[in-house]
Amino acid sequence: MMSLIDVCCILAVFLALTVLATHRIVGMIKLFALQSFFLSLVPLFLHAEALSGRDLMLSLVTMVLKAALVPAILFWTIRHISMRSEIKPILGFGASILCGAALIAVAFWISLSLRLPGKLTSSLVLPCSLATMLLGFMTMVTRTRAMTQVLGYMVIENGIFLFALSLFDAMPLLIEMGILLDIFVAVFIMAIVLNHINEEFERTRGSAVSRPKWGESQ
Amino acid sequence: MGGKSVILSFLIAIPFMGALAVLLPVRPLFRRWFFWAVSLTHALIVTFFWALRPAPEWQGYLVLDPLGLILLSVISLLFLAVSFFMIGYFQYEQRGNRIFTACLLALLSMMTLVSVSYHMGLLWVAIETTTLFSAPLIAFHRDWKSLEATWKYLLVCSVGIALALMGTFFLAIAAHDTHTLLLPAILSAAPSLSVNWLKLSVIFLFVGYGCKMGLAPMHSWKPEAYGQATGMVVVLMAGGLTQCSFLALMRVSQICYKTGLSDFYASILIVTGILSLVVPAVLLLSEKNIKRSFAFSSVEHMGILVLGLGLGGLGIFGALFHMVNNALAKVVMFLTAGSIAQKYGSSRVEDVRGIIHTYPMTGIFLIVSLFAGTGMFPFATFHSELLILNASIISKHYLLAGSFVLCLAVIFIGMARIVLAFVYGQPTEPVLAKKENFFMNTTIVVAAVVLLGVGLWMPVSLNRALHEAVTLIGAS
Amino acid sequence: MDFILNKALPVLFHWGGVCLFAPFFLGVIARVKAFFSGKTGPSVFQLYFDLAKLFRKKCVYSGTATWIFRAAPAVILGVMLTLSLMVPFGRFKAPVQFSGDVLLAVYLLAVGRFFMILAALDTGSSFEGMGASREAFFSCLSELALFMNFIVLALLAKSISLSQMIGANIPMSWGGMEPVLLLVVVSFFIVLLAENCRIPIDDPETHLELTMIHEVMILDHSGVDLAFMLHAAAMKFFIFSGILVSIIIPVRTGNAVMDMAIFFGGMLGLAVLVGVVESTTARFRLNRVRLLLLISFALAFFGLIVTLWRA
Repeated sequence: MMSLIDVCCILAVFLALTVLATHRIVGMIKLFALQSFFLSLVPLFLHAEALSGRDLMLSLVTMVLKAALVPAILFWTIRHISMRSEIKPILGFGASILCGAALIAVAFWISLSLRLPGKLTSSLVLPCSLATMLLGFMTMVTRTRAMTQVLGYMVIENGIFLFALSLFDAMPLLIEMGILLDIFVAVFIMAIVLNHINEEFERTRGSAVSRPKWGESQ
Repeated sequence: MGGKSVILSFLIAIPFMGALAVLLPVRPLFRRWFFWAVSLTHALIVTFFWALRPAPEWQGYLVLDPLGLILLSVISLLFLAVSFFMIGYFQYEQRGNRIFTACLLALLSMMTLVSVSYHMGLLWVAIETTTLFSAPLIAFHRDWKSLEATWKYLLVCSVGIALALMGTFFLAIAAHDTHTLLLPAILSAAPSLSVNWLKLSVIFLFVGYGCKMGLAPMHSWKPEAYGQATGMVVVLMAGGLTQCSFLALMRVSQICYKTGLSDFYASILIVTGILSLVVPAVLLLSEKNIKRSFAFSSVEHMGILVLGLGLGGLGIFGALFHMVNNALAKVVMFLTAGSIAQKYGSSRVEDVRGIIHTYPMTGIFLIVSLFAGTGMFPFATFHSELLILNASIISKHYLLAGSFVLCLAVIFIGMARIVLAFVYGQPTEPVLAKKENFFMNTTIVVAAVVLLGVGLWMPVSLNRALHEAVTLIGAS
Repeated sequence: MDFILNKALPVLFHWGGVCLFAPFFLGVIARVKAFFSGKTGPSVFQLYFDLAKLFRKKCVYSGTATWIFRAAPAVILGVMLTLSLMVPFGRFKAPVQFSGDVLLAVYLLAVGRFFMILAALDTGSSFEGMGASREAFFSCLSELALFMNFIVLALLAKSISLSQMIGANIPMSWGGMEPVLLLVVVSFFIVLLAENCRIPIDDPETHLELTMIHEVMILDHSGVDLAFMLHAAAMKFFIFSGILVSIIIPVRTGNAVMDMAIFFGGMLGLAVLVGVVESTTARFRLNRVRLLLLISFALAFFGLIVTLWRA
């Protein structure tokens, strides 16, 4: 089952790259949901010979929270705030794809000098999770819209999560659940704040109040 | 206290239950007193801990060690002060306080959890949760600026804390053989930890928690958030939240000490510390908003803490002492700034001048804040800063000592410039003419007096706890 | 006699196969697209009829056109025929194979494109000049991605001969490297769409000003010349999908008929897939085409990194 984890890892990076290259926010959310879905499958492949209840639970919770609820919240948010696409990225899309490719190389290069102790599930986990993280950062840094930044943050989280899921069992299940819940609540609060920002925008439309750029409606 | 002790869990649970309770539709006045009552109970229990340390709970996940005790006491004190201040503050606010109080109580619960958690994963969860509960507090005014500040705080801190999570996982890999992230287990397995992974983990943990602390390159959220949140919230953030992250950094320090990575960690700490002194020194000189300039002062104090931790020995003692002093100084500074902002509806120098003529008491408080915040003589902040300076001279970091003093001097000038402009000059009319309030003023006075008192005479028990804590981090 | 049997006959076979089958798959695509838009559509053999008609017609040349314009169709057709000799099609081994033939293959493509662009410029029409300029730009990017894909395949197969890379050694490459090959397949599919002017990149149906890339470049060609051009384009699609199918389906049953059936089934499936993609996606804006090709490059690059990492 080793290679199935590999496939998930590669897909995670692939989808992170496509999130970086997508300009429509709806598309980005869908890609993120797909990425989360593949990640949530990883625990199932971990101990293929003996699927434990813990793995199943983790997979299920991840799938529900990250692949269903978080995208649902994000969709709800963009329905309420009229933010459709990234307009003026700090770095152009073409350049950011090339930078993304370079970042992937960097992630693998860093991983070269890190030897994982103990038995490995897959050698691709570390470089791929680093690459996903870096691509998420790239998305956050180069995009100006609030929603795209949230998505970048979620991609970073997915990268971290990939790493966490497949490497060890040092975390008690309860704490891992706590981590997942925290991230979920974080997105929830971000969505609420965005909603307030949008209301405030509607309220002050046409007045001379200076508005932050990333809140622009259109 | 052998056997099954539940007092720590109880201490975490009370405020959390309280948070749920205040969500009930009751009169705002009741909420204010209820919040004060919970804080008082919390403070009483914590006082009791000074006499009798509680036993570990939850299979060693919750442990109160001297480091935690100091932080817990600081937090408890802050909440007591804020809850008392709030009784007065909300007399003038025509708005509900349901969510506000609930978030404050939840924050108290989570900060308590931070100070007693002995598992690095649990610590992360607790610190992240404090971010989430404090975000709604910043958006108190619900206008553009405060929402923008909330957003910035939420995003920067979430990303920062995500890095800390990665660092926690790296730590788990470094401590692969222990199969747990309980602090004692990691410490006892210290010699067998993988150094490369540990280094990576230390860097990530430092950047992550440092982001939450608002250290210099990651401080961008701080002036915005502190500038927009109400004074009470800022007190809790500047004195409590940031120091919770500092506790995490001290835990890292404990691990580094045991594994012989102290020098590596110290170099990171010292560089960031000095940077956190230089940046606010420069930015303060052109700041026109009192809250923002106090925020830069908070960056400075975080820099001092980190610097002390990095210098080791006497520096650690100084840093721990400074934790207490910084919290008290923040109470004075931000509660004063908060009451000014409430009275004048602004905290910008164009709108507020000549406070001493309109509100003599508040004017005096502002002057006191200046001295307390910049570490002038009679206040305890002076002593802790002196200790850290001393540590840097003992360890022959003369250049460091020189720039430390220089930065403090420049910061004093920057702060004095804006504070004096506020206090003296042609008085401007307050937007909302209000009387001085008993609750608000009492809180500030008591905090200032305690800060002064600790500076003149340090209680024996505090001294002992500080020394115990220092031995935990590993200095002789 | 030996020479004829061992060398010339396979070459003729290969050419015969390519020439004969190539237009069929474009017909399939057209049929799928017609189905999706609710029409019956032309027969799958329509391109054969078109070619037959065009071969009977005379060429018309503009007064400004030079010999380049006249030579281009023949050169392009020649290039495609030469190229096809290096590509194995299922059971049919490539008649020409040597170490490094993949480089020759890519550069033959470039030669064809070069003449296509020159001929378009030669007409002196600004309309075609614009198409030529776009073709030059996009092919820069797609060539990059194509090269990257070939590098990954070469590393996997430990050989730089096209026949080894996509033929003999593919089962071995699939052995433990499927994630990498997945990346290559996706990346190569994008290259295939780009090189053959399929919908997200270019619209083969129209030569409107907005969409013109390939179609507009052959606007001035007529008669036999146009037939050459169309046939060469069909062959190009055939060659590209042949390579992709060889990568995707590494099955070798040993039975010649079965193998051929699998191969042609794969080709047919790919043609249908292209038809579906063309029907369900909208043509990209020109500045997004660039992004698609860059993604294709980035994917192949990622594949390269993973391959190196594994090695």
